[in-house]
Amino acid sequence: MFYQTSTRTFMLITFTLICIYVAFTADYFGLEILTEILILAMIAMALDMVAGFGGMVSLCHGALAGVGAYAYAVCTAKLGWNVPLSIVLTCCFTGVIAWIIGAVCSRTHGIYFIMATLAFGQMAYSFVFESAYLGGDNGLSGIPRLDLSAINIDLFDSRNFALVCLFALFCCYLFAWRILSSGLGRSLVGLMYSEQRSLAIGQNVSRIKAHVFGLSGLILGLAGSLGAQHIMFISPNLLMWTYSGEVLVVTILGGLGTLFGPIVGAAAFILLKHQVSEYTNYWHLAVGIILIAVVMGGAKGLYGSLEAYIEQRLRSRSSTSTNVISEEE
Amino acid sequence: MLEVAKLSKHFGALHVTRDVTINVKKGERRVILGPNGAGKTTLFNQLVGVFSPDSGTIKIDGKDVTNWSVEERAKHGLSRSYQQNTLFDGLKIGENLALAASVNTGHSMSMWRDSLTTPDVMAIVRDTAAQVDLTHHLDKYVTDVSYGIRRQLEVGLALATQPSVLLMDEPTSGVGPKMIHAFHHVLKRLPSELTIVIIEHDMSLAFDVADSMTVLNQGEVVFEGSPDEAKSSRLLQEIYLGTWEDA
Repeated sequence: MFYQTSTRTFMLITFTLICIYVAFTADYFGLEILTEILILAMIAMALDMVAGFGGMVSLCHGALAGVGAYAYAVCTAKLGWNVPLSIVLTCCFTGVIAWIIGAVCSRTHGIYFIMATLAFGQMAYSFVFESAYLGGDNGLSGIPRLDLSAINIDLFDSRNFALVCLFALFCCYLFAWRILSSGLGRSLVGLMYSEQRSLAIGQNVSRIKAHVFGLSGLILGLAGSLGAQHIMFISPNLLMWTYSGEVLVVTILGGLGTLFGPIVGAAAFILLKHQVSEYTNYWHLAVGIILIAVVMGGAKGLYGSLEAYIEQRLRSRSSTSTNVISEEE
Repeated sequence: MLEVAKLSKHFGALHVTRDVTINVKKGERRVILGPNGAGKTTLFNQLVGVFSPDSGTIKIDGKDVTNWSVEERAKHGLSRSYQQNTLFDGLKIGENLALAASVNTGHSMSMWRDSLTTPDVMAIVRDTAAQVDLTHHLDKYVTDVSYGIRRQLEVGLALATQPSVLLMDEPTSGVGPKMIHAFHHVLKRLPSELTIVIIEHDMSLAFDVADSMTVLNQGEVVFEGSPDEAKSSRLLQEIYLGTWEDA
């Protein structure tokens, strides 16, 4: 079950403060890396909602974020609709697409679920790749950013854009927290442990899976639209299955089923990518070695292991103090 | 309350139930007996909707539920416990019960309210825990408690959905004499208006709780009557209990 423990709240606040500090001290490239981390964290968090709390290991979450990016690009660059409306429509559109994929795939399990989501992702990739309207192989450019000049914020400034992404990630975390703490989220966790029992107590398992998949799609829509605004150019590569695989790696690296873990995973992944690639082209090798170490070490992930250690320390400290009090009495 | 008429099911050449007809009244405790492979669990699987019968009908409260899904039947008040524990293993006992209680209270699909902490769910959890002696174990993880307590939770999960008909598949399966004795008390404590159909191999428990008994053999109902009639039935002794001559 998901509980927003004091450890998670502390980590969330600490991460937010670090990001704000980085945003005000980093140079242009540092801000670009920060934005990249924040957008990837949103996508990984959306995946954690379904995989970490519902056992639905999706290989189309990267593609769904790509669908969001294209939806935003079509609404703004192609149709000329205003940006705030386009962001809302993008979230809704991606949410609906995710719900449909969830509804279809919820009837499959295990490896077949993974394959079904992969097939959906590849279908989206093929469609975009072949579509002349969507720019095909060349992608789409001229994508506008949100205009906040009315409140004196210039989003073409990298710092401001990074801070907006941080705010969006924070909102996504609150949204995911709310959903996972609701009846729907509790039911999702239940069916991850025993689908047979969930059915026997009268739960509509397929509907629960589809709903949470759709809700995670809302986050992906927002992440996709921010990703499109960040680069101001999109290409079919966004929908490649390898990107969805990367998102899964990030989620496992940070800690599946922790909600905060994917944020740590995204930071670790992007920093490794940029730092190690300065020395060698084989930076994936370093990620691979760390991932193997994480999986061999109990599969709790970087943040999951830290959280487990802290919680254990807190428990042992509270039990020690209880014993001291009872001895004094 | 529960009306089963001419229920038949076969897997290939194997007829697992043949024209099974059972009528269980409201509040009745019906014990299903039969040797291994008699079709008892398959009958339960058809009653809850896991298997669809080849022919026959199932009615609950006069409503034909034969073609309903598992969750629709559960929502209509049909609940079951399994022979093998089927629990939410990674969760606490209280969370297990709350998940079951949240369905009929309408909180299991809520996107904003926490189903674990709503007062009506918590009240059901408390009542159910008291019924199955789990009050002092609510904060423990399922994986941290004994097998006997997990069996109690198995029954508790079925009860927390607040059913009108409870199907119990060998609730004392794999537990020791002390735990069987505890189950006597648990079963006696259950509300009198609750209809219970129970598959049980422990004869002392079966005869103690039963208002009536049905015996299945090779998928067919071969006996139906009171516990006293069952005790004196030569047919029952031959096919299930064995005979003095055999001994």
